[in-house]
Amino acid sequence: MPTRRPAAALALAAGLVVIAGGTAGLLLTRHPTPAMRPVAAGVAALPAPTGPIVAPPQSAAPTPVAAPVSLTIPLIGVQTQLITLGLTSTGALQVPSTTSVAGWYTGSPRPGAIGPAIIVGHIDSLTGPGVFYRLSELKAGDRVYVKRADGTLAEFRVTSVQTYLKDQFPTEDVYGPVPDPELRLITCGGAFDAATGHYLSNIVVYATEVG
Amino acid sequence: MLLAASALLLGIPAAATAYASSATMGTGWIRLAHLSPNTPAVDVYLYSFGNSNAMIVLHHVAYGTVSPYESVQAGDYSVAMRAAGASATSQPVLSTSVTVSAGHAYTVAGMGPESGLRLQILDDELTAPPGQALVRVIQASLKEQVVKVTLGSTVLADGLKFASVSSYQAVSPGAMTVTVSSSGGTVNSSVTLAAGTVHTLVVLDGASGLEVVSLEDASGMGEPPLGGVSTGFGGTAPHGPGSPVPWLAAIGAGSLLALTGGLRLRRNRQLHAGV
Repeated sequence: MPTRRPAAALALAAGLVVIAGGTAGLLLTRHPTPAMRPVAAGVAALPAPTGPIVAPPQSAAPTPVAAPVSLTIPLIGVQTQLITLGLTSTGALQVPSTTSVAGWYTGSPRPGAIGPAIIVGHIDSLTGPGVFYRLSELKAGDRVYVKRADGTLAEFRVTSVQTYLKDQFPTEDVYGPVPDPELRLITCGGAFDAATGHYLSNIVVYATEVG
Repeated sequence: MLLAASALLLGIPAAATAYASSATMGTGWIRLAHLSPNTPAVDVYLYSFGNSNAMIVLHHVAYGTVSPYESVQAGDYSVAMRAAGASATSQPVLSTSVTVSAGHAYTVAGMGPESGLRLQILDDELTAPPGQALVRVIQASLKEQVVKVTLGSTVLADGLKFASVSSYQAVSPGAMTVTVSSSGGTVNSSVTLAAGTVHTLVVLDGASGLEVVSLEDASGMGEPPLGGVSTGFGGTAPHGPGSPVPWLAAIGAGSLLALTGGLRLRRNRQLHAGV
C-alpha cells in the first residue's frame, strides 16, 4: 500500500523528534534551579524622597498624623503605593492581592504616630520578585520613608532585621505596644515548602522614627 | 583553654540568632519631664551611668514639658537637672539614678515645689487590657493642692494631692470628658482614648486656673493580628529537580510512534517486494 508510506515515515520521524525532545527535557531538568540572586545592594538605589519631615509628636502636644500613601526604601529600590489591609476571617493579617504593592494594616497606628505601624508586602509571585524581595538585605541604621496623605514624610531608622519560623512567630514582639513611633515591615522568607506552596518563615524589619 | 575557645565559637551563632523586640533586643525607654510649677526652666541631662558625656541634653525645659520617649539600652543611667543655660560641668541642682529594664518605659520627672524639688521615677505601663485603654493622672498643680479627676462617669482619682500620681485604670475606649474638680472650681476638657493605648493625664497650673494635658504614652493595636503573614508564592525560591514523569512519558510515546511508523514502513517494503 504505497499511499500509506508517507504517513508511516511521518510517524517514524515525529516519534524520533518526540524522543529527542523528551530526552533533552529530562536531561535539562535534572539539575535543581538555584534561588534568583538579588542584584548587588545599591545598584537600584533610589534617591531619598523629599517632603516636609514632621518631627515626632511631642507627647505633650500630640498632633494627628495623616494616613500613609507610599513607602520608599532607597537602598533596596522599593518605591510603592500603600494599599490598606484589614484582618481575614481567621484574624490573620490580610496581604495585598498583587505582589507588586505593599499595604498598611489599618488596625495599627499610622506611621509616625505612637505605636507599631504594620506594613506587609510579598517577597515574590509565582514567576518572579515581589515588592519586598530584597527586604532581608536591610541592616540596622538603614532608612525607610513613608509619605502621608497630607504630603508629609516620616523617616524611620532600621533597628533590627529578624527571621522567624511562622509557627514560632513572636506576636507580642511584632504587634505589641511601644511608647514611640515605630514601623514593622513584614514579608516571607526562609525555606520554601513546594508541597504547601508557602515559605516557612517571616522576615520582620523593625524601625523607629528618626527624631 | 581549648574548651573556652570552642565554647566561644559555639556561642557566636547562638547569639546571632537571638530574636528581637525591645525586651529581647535589650532596650527600654526613658522620657524626661518638668512638672514643678514654681521652678524656672532647666536643662536636663541623661548620662549612661559612670560616663560623664551626656547621651541626651534637653535645653530650656519649662514647667509642663514632657519629652518624647528615647529608646536606650537596658542598664543604669543618671539624670541631672541644671538651671537653664548653666555649664554642662557645673554642679547639678538635682540628680538621680534610674535602672532601665529591657522592654520597660520610665518617666523621670522633676516634681514638687521649687523648695522641695525632687526627681521622681515613674514606672510607665505600656500594655492596656484587650479592647480597653489605660489611664492614670499626675497631679502637678500647686494652685489647687488636692483634685478629683473623673473620665466620663469613671472616677480616676479622688483627693489626689499635689506632686502625686494615681494608679492606672482600665476604661472603655472612645471620646470622653475629663473633669478636674477642686476647691477652686471645675475644669472640663475632652479626650479621645483608642483601644490598646495608655494615657497619662497631667493636671497643670495654667495662666488662669487648671489645665489638663493628655499624653499618649504607648499604643499597641485594638485588634492585633494572629500570627505571621503569607506573602510569597515561591517564584524566586530555589527549586529541586522537577518530576521526570512527563519527560519519560514523552519518550515512551515517541518510541511507540516511531516503532509503529518503522513497522509500517517495513511492512510496506515487504508488500512491495512481494508483488
